[in-house]
Amino acid sequence: MRIAVRRTGGFAGIERYAEVDTSERPDAGEWHALAESAVAEGRGTPPVGVPDGFSYQITVDGKTVYCADPRLTEAQTRLISQVLEEGA
Amino acid sequence: MKATHPVFCTIVPPHVLDKLARADDPALAGPARRTLEADAAQRARRQFAPVLGATSAAPPGDAAARTPHRTVHDAEHLRNLPGRKARGEGDEPHRDATVNRAYAGLGATFELLLKAFGRDSVDGNGLPLVASVHYGENYGNAFWDGEQMVFGDGDEIFRDFTLPVDVIAHELAHGMTQYTANLTYFGQSGALNESVSDVFGSLVKQYADGQSADRADWLIGAGLLTERVTGVALRSMKAPGTAYDDDLLGKDPQPATMDDYVRTDRDNGGVHINSGIPNHAFYLLATALGGKAWERAGQIWYDTLTAGNLEADVDFAGFARATAAAAQARFGDGEEREALLKAWSRVGVPTG
Repeated sequence: MRIAVRRTGGFAGIERYAEVDTSERPDAGEWHALAESAVAEGRGTPPVGVPDGFSYQITVDGKTVYCADPRLTEAQTRLISQVLEEGA
Repeated sequence: MKATHPVFCTIVPPHVLDKLARADDPALAGPARRTLEADAAQRARRQFAPVLGATSAAPPGDAAARTPHRTVHDAEHLRNLPGRKARGEGDEPHRDATVNRAYAGLGATFELLLKAFGRDSVDGNGLPLVASVHYGENYGNAFWDGEQMVFGDGDEIFRDFTLPVDVIAHELAHGMTQYTANLTYFGQSGALNESVSDVFGSLVKQYADGQSADRADWLIGAGLLTERVTGVALRSMKAPGTAYDDDLLGKDPQPATMDDYVRTDRDNGGVHINSGIPNHAFYLLATALGGKAWERAGQIWYDTLTAGNLEADVDFAGFARATAAAAQARFGDGEEREALLKAWSRVGVPTG
């Protein structure tokens, strides 16, 4: 499973992108469960954000959903921080 | 007076909201409908616009009696807002320096609005100022959520977002914009919304330091970048595009003039990028006039924002014309209006 996160906006307006390929990971099962929840709770179009808030685009195996601060679900928060920290 | 749900007011253009409000998905349609309702309420309120302008003419004696009503909360690295109350108005300093910086920054912003413009808080009506610090983990951002300010502790790129007072004032100015011109947070009106926050952010810093326009650094977020980043700040109003140039972050993408205007669908249509253009126009005006930037240049921007006749989706040219009208109304055909027209001309925005 390929999980990609693109973060845009924010006070600095600096974009960040990272992706994780779970196929070689021992904890792939946990990543899949988390990614499925995050996507299920996402929107099909970019939601209304707030001034200087981050906007996120999550793409899992070709399917893209959107979410924005401060209205992230628990799964989205965890998935986004894991991908941006551990992804390349 | 409080908007019904101002959180949803700012980011999406009205035609998109109209479409969303008709969507079958209630998760989409609900917020969009509330936004349209809130926008309609804002428009109705703007019809009574002279009332907004009247605050700036309030007598000094009245202004002196007004005081801020601040509360700083500690989100304790979670994402629940506002979090645990840490310091209320008049409380002794907290042991946490971040809490105290936020408290002081709210006070500095309140002070500029009151002393320079006779405005009682961001809504002109004594709105309590609420901030949350220590939001999330490794959270390198600060934002205005429609009702309060939120500050993260930073990450590998940014330090604590309460460090620069102009960043605190920038967030609070988003609140002021929401209660006045309510500039739609997308495209050129979104870049104007961002620029207004940078302008008042810089003015709060200059006012607090007692700086004249020629002595100010005109930087936004000076001291916010960690030692890993090559740069002096996040944005420069004096020289947009020169704040940082770094392997990790890339180069500051801000244009100074319309020749380098960036067309993009990211960052809500480049709101943090093209804000460099109106930012630079303000810098040119303030330094041409000299003296304290909030006294004349800042007054023109404040009058423009509170005149009650700006469309929420105004573009750069429309905003520039409105500043010319504000300068004329406040100062007549003097050097202020002349310097203003020259400033817009130098960044390539027409005023005719």
